[in-house]
Amino acid sequence: MESPKISKISRRSFLQITAGVAALTGMSLPTTVQAGSDTLSTLIDLSLCDGCVDRETPACISSCRGINKHKIPKVVDSIPEPWPRKTIEDWSKKQGVTNRLTPYNFIYVHKAEIETAGRQQTIFIPRRCMHCDNPACATICPFSANHKNENGAVVINPKQCFGGAKCKDVCPWEIPQRQSGVGIYLHVLPGFMGNGVMYKCDLCNNRLAEGKLPGCVEACPRKAMIIGPKKAIEAEAQTRARQMKGYIYGKKENGGTSTLYVSPVSFELINKTMTKKPGQPDMKPDVKRRMVGTDPLGKTVLAAPVLGLAAAGALGWFSRRKEQVKTEEKDND
Amino acid sequence: MTEKILSEKNLVVRHSLLELIEHWAIAISGLLLLFTGIFELPVAKRYYIITVPGLGWSADFITSLYIHYAAALVFTAVGIFHLAYHGFRGEKGMIPQTGDLAASVKVMKSLFGFGQEPPMHKYLPEQRWAYVGMAFIILMLIISGLIKTYKNIYAPDMSLAIVLTATWIHNIFFVLFFLAFLAHMAAIALRPNWPMVRGIFTGKVRLDYARHRHALWIADIKKRKTSNH
Repeated sequence: MESPKISKISRRSFLQITAGVAALTGMSLPTTVQAGSDTLSTLIDLSLCDGCVDRETPACISSCRGINKHKIPKVVDSIPEPWPRKTIEDWSKKQGVTNRLTPYNFIYVHKAEIETAGRQQTIFIPRRCMHCDNPACATICPFSANHKNENGAVVINPKQCFGGAKCKDVCPWEIPQRQSGVGIYLHVLPGFMGNGVMYKCDLCNNRLAEGKLPGCVEACPRKAMIIGPKKAIEAEAQTRARQMKGYIYGKKENGGTSTLYVSPVSFELINKTMTKKPGQPDMKPDVKRRMVGTDPLGKTVLAAPVLGLAAAGALGWFSRRKEQVKTEEKDND
Repeated sequence: MTEKILSEKNLVVRHSLLELIEHWAIAISGLLLLFTGIFELPVAKRYYIITVPGLGWSADFITSLYIHYAAALVFTAVGIFHLAYHGFRGEKGMIPQTGDLAASVKVMKSLFGFGQEPPMHKYLPEQRWAYVGMAFIILMLIISGLIKTYKNIYAPDMSLAIVLTATWIHNIFFVLFFLAFLAHMAAIALRPNWPMVRGIFTGKVRLDYARHRHALWIADIKKRKTSNH
């Protein structure tokens, strides 16, 4: 799958983004995107999101579901029973669920009732994949079925995914969701290897390639979500946080992400309203990227060929010298 | 040259200490890589490996990665050292020679009771082929592993074509490494090869065995000794 370059996003889309940002903040982002491979980032402004309380389903969810409704092929009638652990995850008969992440629902909105300084506040938090800067879900996928594109979108290729759910295990928010009974594993060893396909938000990567906006961003009636070049979005998040004396989530969490939440209420308080459940991630501030601990060791692995060559050179020189001395001694005798 | 006949002890020195260290460093780190490589697949929970005493950590992919990296450090450094050091010294004893293929067939047939073994050098002809095969597998694992490690640390958005190529080379050669390991064990299980096993632990094999099976090698050692005097 070719990674779409940011430059492919149409001028019109970016003008739309820019206009939205400018209108809301009184500042302007660059009107054109620099050619090249600048990473995209999204900003979710919780001071603007009202959870679309006047609608049956929040606009971001409806739009996302509409775009992705044909993503999962028909699930086989008889899903093979995995051996020996018999876990089957079948959401095909519960496709209508919108209050959590499922293979058929890549975004949901958490409602948080928070009391701060004696004032009751309701905050709505759209939750989906954070598209991390260095996502373990992608880097250690055993088949590289999950990959971070140059534009920042972390995308699972359903044709290569075996549904082992490793990506979900290593994600601090356990975002990817499995649908059993679909995918390549059915054609290999369905009872012994794999268990379906993992699904999650792909930042509407195909739409980005066509120069369109992600569905959730485009559909948000209050422009609570915006997308743009990472640096510009980070600057925008800082500005908004400063203006509302608020907080940012996603900048340093899991080593940095391409999704920045800006909130007038602290994320510690928001997190207290969340109980981590399957498909309903929490929002623990400063959650660490676990792979960061392995990086120093990984760097020494990268240096290992040089270490090997240096040792071979040193020992080679030493043994040759020893042989020379021996020969000289014999010649002298 | 380490090779030396110790007639009074009925032994002949087959491997230097350095060679023994190289072999066991590659063997132990290779086995660790094999197991932690398997644990990088989502199998530990599914196959209840986590319930095996002492393997409770096996479903934690990050813990496995720590061990995988530590083993890869040894595996890569020693593998490159081996190639460079013995390559610079021009040691060709384990490189296949003309006629090795036909000789390998003869040796294989003799192992199953058909015909006589031809007189052999220090290494058997099929051992030389096996060595080149294993060295190639190890080299491919090292190169693809280095690309994957670089991606993990510095470039998660590396070109998908490169990532997929490195991943599948790593996966395919992981399977080949496992098969090569099994073949190595199978070779050890064959009775005529038993006397060589002590050599890879102690560096020495029985002289009567070497005279009988590695006649060309023993003749070579004697020739070198004579020319040195």
